[in-house]
Amino acid sequence: MKTVQMKKAIKKAISLTLATLCVSSTMLTAYASEPYDSYSYDFWDDPVPAQAAYKVNDTYTGKNLGLERLTDPEDELFISKNISTSLSGAKDIFFEETLEEFWVADTQNSRILRLNKDLQLIGCYTGVDSTESGKASFNAPTGMFVKVEENGDVILYVGDTQNSRIVKCKIVDGLNCECLLEIGKPDSAIYSSKSNTFLPEKILVDGADNIYAVCTSLNAGSAQFNYKGEFQGFYGANRVEVTAEIIRRQIWRIFASDEQLKSMESAAPTEYKNFDIDAEGFIYTCTEAANTTTDAVKKLNAAGYNIWNNDAGNEYHFGDIVTGSTYDAATNTNYTTRLTDLDIDKDGFINILDYSTGRVFVYDEFCSLVTIFGTKNNNSDQKGSFNAPNAVETAYGNVYVVDGTKNDITVYSTTLYGSYLKQAVLLYDDGRYEDAEPYWQEVLDRNGTCSFALLGLGKAALNKGEYKLAMEYFEDCYAQRSYDRAFKYYREQWLQDNFILVFVVVVALLIFIAVFSTLKKKGIIKKRVRKVKKAAPERKKTKKELEHEAQIAAELEAQKAEASEAFEAQEAEKEEE
Amino acid sequence: MYEFTPMGWLKHCVFHPIEGFEDLRWKKQGSMKIAMGIVVLLFVAMVVNRQLIGFQFNGAYTKVFNVVPLLVQSVVYFFTWVIANWSICTLLDGEGRLKQICINSAYALVPYIVSVFITVFLSNFMLLEEAIWLNAVYYLGMGWSVVLMFQAMKAVHQYSVLKTFFSIVLTIAAMLIILFLMILLLSLFQQVYVFFYSIYTEISYRIRG
Repeated sequence: MKTVQMKKAIKKAISLTLATLCVSSTMLTAYASEPYDSYSYDFWDDPVPAQAAYKVNDTYTGKNLGLERLTDPEDELFISKNISTSLSGAKDIFFEETLEEFWVADTQNSRILRLNKDLQLIGCYTGVDSTESGKASFNAPTGMFVKVEENGDVILYVGDTQNSRIVKCKIVDGLNCECLLEIGKPDSAIYSSKSNTFLPEKILVDGADNIYAVCTSLNAGSAQFNYKGEFQGFYGANRVEVTAEIIRRQIWRIFASDEQLKSMESAAPTEYKNFDIDAEGFIYTCTEAANTTTDAVKKLNAAGYNIWNNDAGNEYHFGDIVTGSTYDAATNTNYTTRLTDLDIDKDGFINILDYSTGRVFVYDEFCSLVTIFGTKNNNSDQKGSFNAPNAVETAYGNVYVVDGTKNDITVYSTTLYGSYLKQAVLLYDDGRYEDAEPYWQEVLDRNGTCSFALLGLGKAALNKGEYKLAMEYFEDCYAQRSYDRAFKYYREQWLQDNFILVFVVVVALLIFIAVFSTLKKKGIIKKRVRKVKKAAPERKKTKKELEHEAQIAAELEAQKAEASEAFEAQEAEKEEE
Repeated sequence: MYEFTPMGWLKHCVFHPIEGFEDLRWKKQGSMKIAMGIVVLLFVAMVVNRQLIGFQFNGAYTKVFNVVPLLVQSVVYFFTWVIANWSICTLLDGEGRLKQICINSAYALVPYIVSVFITVFLSNFMLLEEAIWLNAVYYLGMGWSVVLMFQAMKAVHQYSVLKTFFSIVLTIAAMLIILFLMILLLSLFQQVYVFFYSIYTEISYRIRG
């Protein structure tokens, strides 16, 4: 009986401990950090851990977005009972600032979704009516652009990829839009010399209603159309990246015959994958090809030239700084950077999405790295990690990333650290170093290795005339040029402050030399007698040498003795004769 | 002719590039102790140039300080030079002995070492835009050392100018071969070490059961 009771007691105790363990473990998850390690790069391009500037706020699947309204017969947005209520392979997201609406290209469902600022469905467009080609519904649209006219008309541009067309349409209501313009494959010989297909992926519209389209396998840049849909030419092609392979081919070309030349590949640049336009009308492009260094990200002016002075092609770094492939512990794979999408937010920060690692790289307008966040995950079951990150968008200080495999939208919001950091960077970029100082101080309190903060504080100190302090800050973040400038002022100041001391020392030295030399001339001070001038002292002979000399002397002696003996013997012989 | 202390001879050699080393040879002077001191100073100059140069001039990866590459670049290179030169010039009817080559080579390095020390000292008071002065001092010292080295080799082996030049080219080639063989030898020994170490671990596992 006792043993049974004991067993029961033990069982109770075990179950109690297990229960507490369970509870405590759930509590632990509540305090879990972000699913990624934030980091940054230092002066030597070494990764350095950093605080997270963004944290995962929420993820939105089809259900959270309210896509079920499309299947509800009583709802105004009802389309049909069996239409998909989840995203499928979404490729693009766009935020329209005047309407404060998000637009998502739900590619594999061949529809464009219109969401309000809380990411709730307010419209869905599956096609346009009355087109010239007669094709009504969209077929795998991969990109879109939305523009609000001055009269309040909402104009939607769709890169209707599989239908080989760009559609410009006016939004009528939540479900219908009216076609204004349909652009098919350009007839121009210039176009057909570069590409046989017309598969527009990403669409951009500038202030003058020119339409730009990034097309699949078209490496001459994006196709540019005017507001009437006439083909204008190509815009902003990348340059060929000079690799050993390209140089080898170029050398072969010199010797190759015409037949060989025909069969040779020509050196073609990699096409850029995606673009975005900023508030001033500059177009930024990013190139997805693995480990691109030449023209990975460009800022183009209206003529299509990269305004980041970049002759060598690799003076600006974007994405992870790696050569070849690098091991990533999060996915247990080797990866090469693939910059798939970028977005310029309203403050001018450049957000670049890396498809390989799911990381978002944030740069300021001068391409200095601000922060890195986000990750990829093999089983993609963790909130905030991606499987196929396709597009990035920013609004309200949040970052939105669309995943084409998990079929959701992840929202990242700025942490306190991130907001201080961004505020500080903005003030710093404006040249308001002293205004930025309190923000940098907050940043540094949270992340002591933030070299950007040290640089900012250094410049603030320099502006205030605290040169020594500035030098210390610059030394900590290894900003050699800035240090040099601070040192210049510091040296100047030191010389001014200690002028009398320096003056006295120099004069005293001169007087001393003059007096010394005159005294020397008059012979009052005798020239230092150097040992050098004396004959070199006879070196003490070593034992070996002494022995050797003695031996030689002995030999000479012996020879003399021999000679004299021989002489005597001869004499004796003569006498005998 | 001349009568100097050992340090006086060093001074004489450095400031008389044409006949200094000839005098050194005919008087059978030159101190091995001083020569070794110079080699040590060469190493110190290397370290100082990396660690104490003005912050704005320091291009080195300062997170890690590894003394081995500096040791190789100074001491090992020096002795490789001496041995390579000796082996080449013995075949080319050079008259220098190993000790003489060592002493003369070391004496020739003095201007370079001095210029490095001066550069490092001045760099702590200078700006990047004044770097030309530092470069001037540095390259002056280096050029001077090159001239001295040439004269030293010429004097010690009693060569003509052209022959000295060829002997130096061959010496550099020989240095490369020697270094290559040394690396080969090192990796070989490492392999042997790894082999014995794995035997040891294997046996120790067996013994422990």
